[in-house]
Amino acid sequence: SLPAGSWVPSVTPQDILYRGILRRKPGRPAGDSCTSQPLPVLPTQLSHFFVDHPEDAFGSLGKLLHQNFYLGDSKLRVSVHSGLPPCSGCPRKNLVPRLRWFSHLARDWLFEVPLGLLADCVHEDLLLQWASLLFDDSPTGGALAWLPPKDVGARTGRLVYPGGQAMNHLCILPHGVALRRGGGGREGVPWVAGTSWDTAVSRVALCPLPDFVGVRSDYHCGVWRVPGRTGAAPTPLQVIRTSVPASCLTVSPHLPGELAVCTQSGAVYLWSVETGLQRLRHDPQTMFFRDHSPWRWSDFTAHPRVLSCADRTGLQCLDTRVSPGGCHFDLFKVGEEAGCQQGERVVLPMYLGRAYPSQHLVTTQFSVYVLDERLPLVPVLKWAHMMKAPPLFAHLTPGGPGRSHKVLLGASRTQELLLLQYRGEKRGALGVLWGRVSSVPTSQPPCCRDRLPPPPLGLGSEEEEEEEEQTFYLSNLEVIIDEEEEDGGTPVVPEEAECPQEPSANPQPSPAAALRYRRWLKAFSKVCGQPPRHTRPPTFGQKRLFTRKELEEPSAPSALQGQARRWLRQAMRDGGCLQRWDPPPSALPEPPEPAEDPDPLSARLTASWCGDWDGWWEGRMSSSLAQRQRALRERRRRQKRARGRRSLSASFTSSLTYQSELSELSDPDTAPPPRREASPPLGTSPPAAATPPSPEEALLSSQSLRSRGIPKERRKTLRDYLAVWADGPPEPPELPGSQASQLCIPSSQSQLSSASQPRRKRPRMGF
Amino acid sequence: MDSFLEEEEDDEEAAAATKNAAVGSALLPALHLPSLPPHLYQPGKGRAVGFPAKSKEVCLSYIQDAMLRKQWKRAAEFLTFYIESLEKDFSTEYMGPSEVIWRIGAEILCHRFHNNMKEFSSFIEQMKTLGVKRYLKVCLEHAFHLLCNGQIDEAYQNLSLAESWRFGEQTAIQDKEMKLIQAYRGLLDYYSWSKQKNILLEHGQDGLEDLSVEQEMHGCFRKAAMNLKEIIKIPGVWDLFVKCYVDLLEFYGDYSEAREVLNEYAYNSKFPANPNAHVYLYQFLKRHGESKKSLLSALKILHDIVPSHELMIDFHIMLQKSKKRKKRRLGLEVIFAVLDYAGWKENVKAWSCLARQVKQIVISEKHLDWIKQEWDPRRDWWPAFHFSRYSAKRNWQENESLSYEKALVAGILLGKGCKAQVKRFRILKKFLNKHNPVYLRLSGLSDSSVQP
Repeated sequence: SLPAGSWVPSVTPQDILYRGILRRKPGRPAGDSCTSQPLPVLPTQLSHFFVDHPEDAFGSLGKLLHQNFYLGDSKLRVSVHSGLPPCSGCPRKNLVPRLRWFSHLARDWLFEVPLGLLADCVHEDLLLQWASLLFDDSPTGGALAWLPPKDVGARTGRLVYPGGQAMNHLCILPHGVALRRGGGGREGVPWVAGTSWDTAVSRVALCPLPDFVGVRSDYHCGVWRVPGRTGAAPTPLQVIRTSVPASCLTVSPHLPGELAVCTQSGAVYLWSVETGLQRLRHDPQTMFFRDHSPWRWSDFTAHPRVLSCADRTGLQCLDTRVSPGGCHFDLFKVGEEAGCQQGERVVLPMYLGRAYPSQHLVTTQFSVYVLDERLPLVPVLKWAHMMKAPPLFAHLTPGGPGRSHKVLLGASRTQELLLLQYRGEKRGALGVLWGRVSSVPTSQPPCCRDRLPPPPLGLGSEEEEEEEEQTFYLSNLEVIIDEEEEDGGTPVVPEEAECPQEPSANPQPSPAAALRYRRWLKAFSKVCGQPPRHTRPPTFGQKRLFTRKELEEPSAPSALQGQARRWLRQAMRDGGCLQRWDPPPSALPEPPEPAEDPDPLSARLTASWCGDWDGWWEGRMSSSLAQRQRALRERRRRQKRARGRRSLSASFTSSLTYQSELSELSDPDTAPPPRREASPPLGTSPPAAATPPSPEEALLSSQSLRSRGIPKERRKTLRDYLAVWADGPPEPPELPGSQASQLCIPSSQSQLSSASQPRRKRPRMGF
Repeated sequence: MDSFLEEEEDDEEAAAATKNAAVGSALLPALHLPSLPPHLYQPGKGRAVGFPAKSKEVCLSYIQDAMLRKQWKRAAEFLTFYIESLEKDFSTEYMGPSEVIWRIGAEILCHRFHNNMKEFSSFIEQMKTLGVKRYLKVCLEHAFHLLCNGQIDEAYQNLSLAESWRFGEQTAIQDKEMKLIQAYRGLLDYYSWSKQKNILLEHGQDGLEDLSVEQEMHGCFRKAAMNLKEIIKIPGVWDLFVKCYVDLLEFYGDYSEAREVLNEYAYNSKFPANPNAHVYLYQFLKRHGESKKSLLSALKILHDIVPSHELMIDFHIMLQKSKKRKKRRLGLEVIFAVLDYAGWKENVKAWSCLARQVKQIVISEKHLDWIKQEWDPRRDWWPAFHFSRYSAKRNWQENESLSYEKALVAGILLGKGCKAQVKRFRILKKFLNKHNPVYLRLSGLSDSSVQP
């Protein structure tokens, strides 16, 4: 079981599809939906599996084997899964590093789960996920139900809905209590003992008068009795467990304690709380033509002993009084007789007994049909509903004598609502239904669409006799419908949609909100997993995020604030902007200032990245020319200073060198060609900084040395050492040898001349 | 009145549309590489996916939003934009934009101009030229609209015009719509015929004869009869047309033809099993004073098709009056079957019928096995269905006579166990005490039948 408070994100197409596959191929018309196809990327999926769950893939075999392997003596430091961001609560954290490395090494050949089997499982799951993305029929019928008050006029109606984090609680909301967003607010009772995921409620069906509530999840069906008193907890009567997922549960409107149950294996049961299950049919095949869907549905008809049974291809009526498969007749068939279109399938049948005892509603993805079981197969009424998604929820509000009946249809994914009204002349008479379904092809008001991220769970409606007003509930949305204009035959449309929590309705955090926030934090910290023992557990505190003063609103907002708020709301309503954002020119983010001394390497890389490498090189050459001239001048000055202490021959040589080099540099034609044809220079020379006369310079003078009592023969050594020491550190190690020797160690020139000069002198040989 | 015309016409339309439509269905089988429905596109990812389609969709949602808020003017403005987008429409969706425009535009016009017929007619004319594929459908709907606003002559003209429409293959494809248009024109002929008939009858009472009116009436009859006869031949549900045609025939005394039409309509196996056909036949037979036997046989068939039909009360009463035991036995069966249905649950007439017959049987102490045979299959669910404490309380509050009838039946069938129903009626109690052995025998018989 998963930790409380965790939230499983729903699968999106992007999880299954190749990235970029959603793009339209060129040459196809717009709106052609057949171009994009999901391609399960099995190698990728498998490698993800190995990376994400190495202990599952290699765990026990790895544990057995890795002791016998020599993995080297070096300490494991390299992160094996460098491609994944480290996250707290990561299951890999507790894995033995040695084992992890072993897994990494053995990934290609050692796995516990046979690859073929794993691939099959992954593929199967992908198909399932994809199918549910295309059309998820599990919430068919809806999981929201309205229990009307027993006595007319008493406002004691209640809303029954699933709650809890795993949606496995049955919550009952009395009339007049606001439903908090997110389904919280009221604690329900777990409807099946134990909390596992397969008990998530996907359908709540009820019989209005004796207050029987049927609850269905994938593998469980239960009957509850909801006492009439407000506040009394519902009591469970029976729970059955199915081996195949149940796809339908309806409560009999005629007999208390009777329900119809269908499973995906094609079995239809009449379930009586007193006598148990009675199987009416078991047929894995669909009724009228072959269809892949295992979805089955069953509902009651005007005769309490006759059940309607539906699959995607149509509806049949079964008589429970005779042996299974004995007596049945076809009520609706997808085909020519009902004027169906190609590919049309039954989505939701509903018995309209509260409006007309013999009528049924059948919705498909294109149309709504009203059928009369006395004249089967030919629909009494057909109406193209123009909804984008197939309507999975339907709710009937009988209009009473002389008033039209209302059918509210809802779609799950697109969150559309459609209200139809139809009218028949005489109750119980056949064929007098001359109904005009007036409809507005409405979708939900946009403001609500934005605020309802999860698909709705169901539809319920509250009927109030006294007031001309009806409230429809759509999971956490409440729509109030005004019935004023009904007599004129105009379509009744949801006038106003109210969300339980307007953004501006409750600016101050209520104590409940604070409590919820604290709970959320608690859950959040739980999700983050057990922290390692040696580190302090992370602490979360509401106080540290917001002080109490910050959370508090000023008691009365000032006039300016009020005005600002009005503007803001107005702007939000109009979808415009409150104030044009004209950034002052100075506010434009400047490109980062180039550093005083740009790193030559990065400058070169930048240039080559921009494709301007040649320009850079030219610039570099010219600038290095100037640099070298400057450097040479500097050297000359130093050499002049040192000349007095040198021998004549040495000074002669050096001056000669200096002269020739100067002439060399001043004449570009005779300059050594830049190594442009060769590979680009690996390094660049540092800017030859004009070194100011340093204190070492004074130290090196022979007078000062003599005065310090240093013997003459050692003075030179010391001078050399000091010179190297003074000039060495700024010298970058990657300098080309020729330049470095020239530019950076001028004082040792004379000593090094035998090593470095001959090459320099070569051009002078002819001179 | 009793008619399934509306839906029939829709069926025809859709059937015609089926052939042309390529449908992208959300329920298509999930193949190994299924196609991607439009709702899975995520806007903003990748390049703009089909921008024109997207903007059209947005425009449509704006129209719907405006209609939802009853901002008809705004909706009309958006609709004009939407029409512009039609120029580049190559969509093969099952409901193309032209049909959307037709539907939405009609709805907007109805509300915005408060059924201004001139505006509406010009709009419809445009719609006709816009979608040749549904020309006749639009014509038919236009005619209905005119009829609803009382402009019968215009509607007639419209239908006549539509009848003479020729457009290559399209005329043949929309054959069914053409038949419907002819039938409705026949219906309008019938309407003017019956109007003239009434004038003549009034004048006839005054002793005046108007030859021209009579001639016109005959002309109407011929046109109406021809068209109506045509449509009735096609298998379908034609309640309205059949009734009118039979009325015409009856007026001119052609009873054999009328009977033949009704028999054909009721018994031809190609036609859908339409209970109304039997009702019309029964009513026809009754009008012409047919023998009880034929009436009963007609009702017997109706009983087999629809045990919950309201004529079953008549059937039961007729059977009750019969002297044959078999028929009275059938009568009991009929009334029990009627009360099986939820729609009859609180019908006083039906309960009193049952109570009367049951009482008769109990008093005469003959044929108690009839009750037993009917009661046995219902023993397990009738008490909860009819005689629960809750329904007893409600019946007593709402309808005392119903409560009385039910209590009598419950007392006999359930014995003293059914206190909820019986306790308020002293006379009933007496009656039941007197006939207590009946209940014992009912239950005892059943027990003995179970035991061996």
